[in-house]
Amino acid sequence: MTHSDGRDIDTAMATLSGEGAQQVVKNARESLRQAQPKPWEHIPGSGGEDVTYYGLPMLKESVWSIDIPIYYFLGGAAGAAMTLGAAVQFACGKSRELRRFSEICHWTGIIGSTLGAAFLIHDLGRPERFLAMLRVFRPTSPMNVGAWILAGAAPSAIATGMLIHRDGWMGAVGEAAGYVSGVFGAGLAGYTGVLVSNSAIPAWIAGRRWMPVLFMASGATTATSVLDLFYEGPAGSRIAMLFGTAARSVEVAAAVQVERAAAEVPIVAEPFSRGATGALWKAAGALTAASLALTLVPGKSRRKRQIAGVLGIAGSLALRFAVHYISNASAREPRASFHQQRKK
Amino acid sequence: MQAVLSAGEAQALERRAAREDTPNRSPRKGFFTDTTICIGCKACEVACKQWNQLPDDGLYFSGMSYDNTVALGASTWRHVAFIERPLTIAPDGATDVSWLFSSDVCKHCARAGCLEACPTGAIVRTEFDTVYVQPDICNGCGYCVINCPFGVIDRRQDDGRAWKCTMCYDRLKDDMQPACAKACPTDSIRFGDLDELREIAQLRVSRLQEHGVDEAYLYGADAASQPGTEGLNAFFLLVDKPEAYNLPPDPVAPAKRVKDTWKSFAMAAVGMAAMALASALSSRGTRA
Repeated sequence: MTHSDGRDIDTAMATLSGEGAQQVVKNARESLRQAQPKPWEHIPGSGGEDVTYYGLPMLKESVWSIDIPIYYFLGGAAGAAMTLGAAVQFACGKSRELRRFSEICHWTGIIGSTLGAAFLIHDLGRPERFLAMLRVFRPTSPMNVGAWILAGAAPSAIATGMLIHRDGWMGAVGEAAGYVSGVFGAGLAGYTGVLVSNSAIPAWIAGRRWMPVLFMASGATTATSVLDLFYEGPAGSRIAMLFGTAARSVEVAAAVQVERAAAEVPIVAEPFSRGATGALWKAAGALTAASLALTLVPGKSRRKRQIAGVLGIAGSLALRFAVHYISNASAREPRASFHQQRKK
Repeated sequence: MQAVLSAGEAQALERRAAREDTPNRSPRKGFFTDTTICIGCKACEVACKQWNQLPDDGLYFSGMSYDNTVALGASTWRHVAFIERPLTIAPDGATDVSWLFSSDVCKHCARAGCLEACPTGAIVRTEFDTVYVQPDICNGCGYCVINCPFGVIDRRQDDGRAWKCTMCYDRLKDDMQPACAKACPTDSIRFGDLDELREIAQLRVSRLQEHGVDEAYLYGADAASQPGTEGLNAFFLLVDKPEAYNLPPDPVAPAKRVKDTWKSFAMAAVGMAAMALASALSSRGTRA
């Protein structure tokens, strides 16, 4: 039998034992992620100083689907909610309202982190091997560090949610788990910012000083926006307002810093301002700024808070998608890497 | 064969013979790809496909000179680039096209971005100092794909795992040279001990410069010339800017750059926790 998967190997003549023999081919023509050639008008090598190889990408685009920006969003919200939940748990004393507020934070953390983990696993090329992430500890890989953070954050949040309202030693364990999840939560909200900075993508490298700040602030914005939408109660609302104002302000400021850092090399900054990626990036900034403005408007109207919440969530979600698509645009442009490395 | 070797190259071969008797000789293996003697025959591409039993790449006409594989990828582990440049051939300014060929391959960097980024430990460094993806461990997270500063490694979507050149790990273990080097008819691809390849490459550069090819230089031969990767185990002799060959002028292993990012992360985490605590404490007195 001859293999018709692009190998043309007659199994009567040869065995499939090469290094690439196990590579699965389901649809030989459609499955390749090869850069598609574009028509060219002049002799390609004649680009003079600014030469490229037929304008083809030098880097590979990320293979991640929309699962990953959704995970940034969910994981960020979950992490920030866990940290806020732990802080309120620490400060609430005997206030019944604040205990409830803290529990809602923990449950936001539980839902966000478990749902996020599901998206993360779904995006893997071999989802059944997701536990391979935990077979090593590798500090040079933010993804490995993040897998450990998630493996600490989600179970501790779940333990908190299950046990904290109980009496006796189980309640004490829940209390302790709440603080543990608060620490892991801060990591969960921000490690993705390190993850994208630790790459060869020019637009992501350029913003690497501010990416963790941006990601963490965006997570905090999402978490407080969720509280704005669903939480009622004077003390809790005040906390959400204070924390949310800080989160939204930092998110807007960090986004400006990321774009400014990218602008040091004009072609690296292009995806932030041009085309669909630019529109998404600007929309994210505008939505978050609008949410911030509304949060700062005095008054305790529930409707006002809910609109601010919707705007905050939309802004953070747009930001995650913008960051994702900007990387692909950046990888497609070979001169972004070339200019960045030659500091043009 | 010996007759065409220069005195320096013959010396290098003698040194190699001497080294073979030394038990603790360097086990670092590598490729030296001399693009000036590449004839663009693609025997390396074919040999690689055949030996490794890789599927084809779709076989289409790219329109870009004779380059139909376009780039390295999950099932293309050697790729011959065809660079066409205008060349002035007469004093009156008449031009023609000059051709450069270069067989590109995974560089097996001394500081490998893919290896450092791999969260599962699927990507390892072998006893030959090469970088190898273990297909039975890779879970297809795709992080290596954006961490390769050369855009080499890729995930095959229907397979779900990341793939790249293994430097014929199976052949090396049996004391054979990689299929591409074996098939190369002009010895443009040379395989051997890294320090020896560097000597040969250096001699080749000086020889070319003696003959007036002043633009000849080595790309990634050692850590001094390419600190970002700390040197490539598969390095090149080029005669134009790296960009012309679609190679980055100053590649850096991503993990080398993120110290400040981790610092920002730590400060942001402390900042967020402090803000959460401050918000919580300030609301203590609020009564319903």
